[in-house]
Amino acid sequence: MSRILGKLRYFVGDAADEWRHSPGVNFLATATLASALFVAGLLALVLSNVHGRIAQVRSEAPVDVFLEDGISEEVRADLGRRLAAVPGVEDVRLVGKEEALRRFRDSFAGLADLVAELQTNPLPASFEVELARGADGAGVVSDIRRELARQAGVEEIRYDRAWLDRVEALLSLARVGGLWLALLVFVAVAFVMASVLRLAVYARRDEIEIMLLVGATPAFVRGPFLVAGVVQGLVASVLSVGLVEGVRRVALGWGNVHPAALLGLVAGSPLDGAVTLLLIGTGLLVGVVGAYLAVRGVRA
Amino acid sequence: MIRVEGLTKSYPEGSTALRDIDLEVDRGEFVFVTGPSGAGKTTLLRLLLRQEVPTQGRIFMDGQDLATLPPRRVPALRRSIGVVFQDFKLIRRKHALGNVAYVLNIQGVSRAEQRRRAYLALKGVGLHHRLGVLPAALSAGEQQRVAIARAVVGEPALLLADEPTGNLDPDLAVEIMRLFREINARGTTVLVATHDRDLVRRMQRRTVVLEHGRLVDPGGTP
Repeated sequence: MSRILGKLRYFVGDAADEWRHSPGVNFLATATLASALFVAGLLALVLSNVHGRIAQVRSEAPVDVFLEDGISEEVRADLGRRLAAVPGVEDVRLVGKEEALRRFRDSFAGLADLVAELQTNPLPASFEVELARGADGAGVVSDIRRELARQAGVEEIRYDRAWLDRVEALLSLARVGGLWLALLVFVAVAFVMASVLRLAVYARRDEIEIMLLVGATPAFVRGPFLVAGVVQGLVASVLSVGLVEGVRRVALGWGNVHPAALLGLVAGSPLDGAVTLLLIGTGLLVGVVGAYLAVRGVRA
Repeated sequence: MIRVEGLTKSYPEGSTALRDIDLEVDRGEFVFVTGPSGAGKTTLLRLLLRQEVPTQGRIFMDGQDLATLPPRRVPALRRSIGVVFQDFKLIRRKHALGNVAYVLNIQGVSRAEQRRRAYLALKGVGLHHRLGVLPAALSAGEQQRVAIARAVVGEPALLLADEPTGNLDPDLAVEIMRLFREINARGTTVLVATHDRDLVRRMQRRTVVLEHGRLVDPGGTP
């Protein structure tokens, strides 16, 4: 155990030494990775905020359950209770026929003459169902439909935010496409890092030859380079996460002065913990893979 | 300790560095390998260090055939050999103590022990006052003595030296040879490749002579 710790301490010390002796190469490798991670982090932030905004719009939009004319008070009360019991429903409010007509008059004042000529009120009573904040609108509506299926007294259930489903489908597509794109970008970045780190290996080729000649195993020679890769990955990922958060805060400040929809997409919630960990994990992985590709040619 | 049988080393472009060499070196011997430039001295040492593999023939070191040694066992072989090169081959960014201690580091010796033994090795070559100096700030003679300290610090059974005095003035060359004699006196087998015949004559040790890749004199007790 103490031998392993001793080796690890040597690898870390030698990696730090390597940073001191070749700051340019190490900076270039770190900056390349940090740039890719920053773009990925910013994209994840925008996607997450768009998703959050859609969820918010969806939860703010009520579901209207229109009732047939002439249903009994008892049936209506039962429907109200059933709706209120559906998970994700925050509030259920009855809009009577008179209230519906009054709203129509208020909304379409230009049609006042037409309304005045009506012999009877054609508008149905309805329940306005308010969804809980953050609730999955499409899911709740689906539950309501299931709950009220074959229930007498219900004429129609309307949810006017179906377009959000289409936007969300597009977002899901963007997310999957983005993941594949990110994967390709990070493979490319690993190769770019490997090329940059190969410069460091090349600069130390004489030293590596000496180490091998006096009996170092290739793994022992590669160790400090791999540790340097881990450090580069860690520094790049922490830097990129910090930059994404910095950009978000700047956008937040600007958004207060110059409200703009695009700024709002960046200035929403910060990156969540899972995405942050994913970025850091990706940074570490790409750092190690890049370093391994650079030193895999070191052989006795 | 070393047994070479019918050793030939050729290169793809057609040149042959060694032809049909037979040689034996006993444990504890001090042997010079001499001959003009291009005689094959360095190639012989490279083969012993397993930097190259024979085209034909075999090299046994303590009964182990180097030609068939798997690559994963090469580092262990090299750890059992101390090497001194003409161009010193010191790690530029490590100071004298760090260069010497590196050999112990790869053997897994504790850090405190590395420093203690590296200090003693440098003291043995008279450089204990230059521990923290980088190679670039050392003279050629000092660099060669650091290289010798590095070669012996791991207490190897065999010490190989390739033209160790090639870059040094005659007085320093004699001093380096005195160090080799001391190391040999402690039981280490020493094999020195040199084209300096005066030095060889003065040392009065077994001398193997190579010419154009052929062994012309297997040497004997002078």
